[in-house]
Amino acid sequence: MKLSSRYNRVNILVSLLVLLSTGVIYYVVIHFILTEKLDRDLRIEEEEIRAYAEKYHKLPLAGDFHDQKVSYRLVNPSDTTGRSFGNSVYLNEKEHEKEPGRSLTTFMKVNDQVFEVSVTKSRLEAEDLVRIIFLISLLIIILLLLTLFLVNRFLLNSLWKPFYHILDQMKAFNLTGRNEVKVEQSKIDEFVELNQAVLLMSQRVKEDYKELKSFTDNAAHEMMTPLAVINSKLDTLLQTEGFSDQQGELIEDIYMAVGRLSRLNHSLLLLAKIENNMIKNEEPIHLKPLIEQKLRQFQELLQSAEIMVSTQLTDKEVLMSKYLADILFNNLISNAIRHNVKPGHIEVILNASQLVFKNTGITMALDGARTFERFNKTASSDGLGLGLAISRQICNLYGFSMTYAYGAGQHTFTISF
Amino acid sequence: MKLLLIEDEQSLRESILTYFSAEGNICELAVDFQSAMEKISLYQYDCILLDLTLPGGEGMEILRALKKLNKKDGVLIISARHSLDDKVDGLNLGADDYLVKPFHLSELQARVTAIVRRKSFDGNSTIIFNEISIDTIAMKVTVKDRMLNLTKKEFDLLVYFTANQRKVVTKNAIAEHLWGDEIDLSDDFDFIYTHIKNLRKKLVEAGCKDYIKSMYGVGYKFENI
Repeated sequence: MKLSSRYNRVNILVSLLVLLSTGVIYYVVIHFILTEKLDRDLRIEEEEIRAYAEKYHKLPLAGDFHDQKVSYRLVNPSDTTGRSFGNSVYLNEKEHEKEPGRSLTTFMKVNDQVFEVSVTKSRLEAEDLVRIIFLISLLIIILLLLTLFLVNRFLLNSLWKPFYHILDQMKAFNLTGRNEVKVEQSKIDEFVELNQAVLLMSQRVKEDYKELKSFTDNAAHEMMTPLAVINSKLDTLLQTEGFSDQQGELIEDIYMAVGRLSRLNHSLLLLAKIENNMIKNEEPIHLKPLIEQKLRQFQELLQSAEIMVSTQLTDKEVLMSKYLADILFNNLISNAIRHNVKPGHIEVILNASQLVFKNTGITMALDGARTFERFNKTASSDGLGLGLAISRQICNLYGFSMTYAYGAGQHTFTISF
Repeated sequence: MKLLLIEDEQSLRESILTYFSAEGNICELAVDFQSAMEKISLYQYDCILLDLTLPGGEGMEILRALKKLNKKDGVLIISARHSLDDKVDGLNLGADDYLVKPFHLSELQARVTAIVRRKSFDGNSTIIFNEISIDTIAMKVTVKDRMLNLTKKEFDLLVYFTANQRKVVTKNAIAEHLWGDEIDLSDDFDFIYTHIKNLRKKLVEAGCKDYIKSMYGVGYKFENI
């Protein structure tokens, strides 16, 4: 729900509630006041009748009254109660209509006789007044709600415009892109502050990103240079004559370690680059020829490891970086070779929706949750433990999902496009 | 060959210098951007080994300067930056090849030799080593006028050996050269042995001397005997 519609709803609901309750209170109070006034008039009338009766020892004629009806009834003296007010019907003789009335019933003693005197006045005017007041209130309520609704709708929309503008800018914000965040000038303090904060944040993020980028570059350079020195010194050392086979073995071990270290370094930098989305150059890649080419590239290794490969490929085109596609398939294939048995089997299935790599291997499932974690590898593995982490990272980058499953002696890695 | 090595790391410079000079190549040095710019404008080289990160300037600028000077020197970039953009930029600016640090000196030698061979004005694409003649364009090898039937990998291996004559070449270096360093090879390089054995057999059967010698279990040496 949008902020404005939520605000609108609450605002209108509360206004309606408040206006309605004030309307009711208004109605009740005015009604009460008018009834009080009528009652006072009735009492004055009673006083006049009483005064007349005292003076002349008889009751005035009922027909002499203009704006009220008076009636007398002889009652038993024991039946007298007290003065009481009540609503009744007033018969308007001029207009021959029945109107709502207010009547006062009292008892008077005239010449030792007790009369019940009732005076009735029309309530019509009072009722009309109340109705008019009620109608005016209602009109005000409707008008007020309508204004509120319109104001909220149009004013809020225009008030929130800078917010939506900055939101669009933030959505379009791309770390690697060159476009800067542009803000719309606003007179509202909150939006000015928001704009400033967003601008500041985007600048800071860009700066951090640049720093990170130069850090990765520098880290690569700084670490690769000593590695290159070690490697070249080993190469030079090897050219000097007269090593025993034992010394040769030692040198080979150092070579291995240096090779491992540099591969590790490359892999870590690659992971950082993929995570930071620093690899661009997406292009349509035909997976079928690429996989076939990769399998040819690994041919000698497959032969020497006595691994049979069967493929079932239909062409599929995906949009990704050629560089990362190469790495992905190198990882998947070398993984399937390294963790295979001798003689073993690899099956590659490619169709429009997924790519499946199946290989024979240890007859035990890998720990599913940890398979793709960095540096997670089986005790027997001589790899870096980064291959699958990189593969999954590449898949994530392009919105593919990569899953692992084990069944019937086959380890299966599935990439779903 | 006359080479110019532009590299700021002293130890690396020394190793490369030693490796190349042993074969009678002339190898000049530049340790920073300024001296490199001076040298490239004054002299002509068969191949320039260029590090991209230099004190005083970017290696890419040297490539631009070479292009501006209309120089035809071969350029091999040696960089620690394993970045695709750098590779593409470098090659677009006229570099002939791109080698990522750390590398094997034998690989460096092979790449430089290949560049110089491609750039040589007499169009000499044939490598002659005693009775072996290698046509690098047609990818044919003849021994005493007899054609040898080599696989692609065996051919590459032989060219690699001839570029690194009298040098001990490690199994690692051979594996990386033949299969590329992207392939995360297992540390077991025994499968290389099969290729060496096959190449050796084919050469000897063709009436060639056995020039390939196993060295301390680490690698091999291709040497005139």
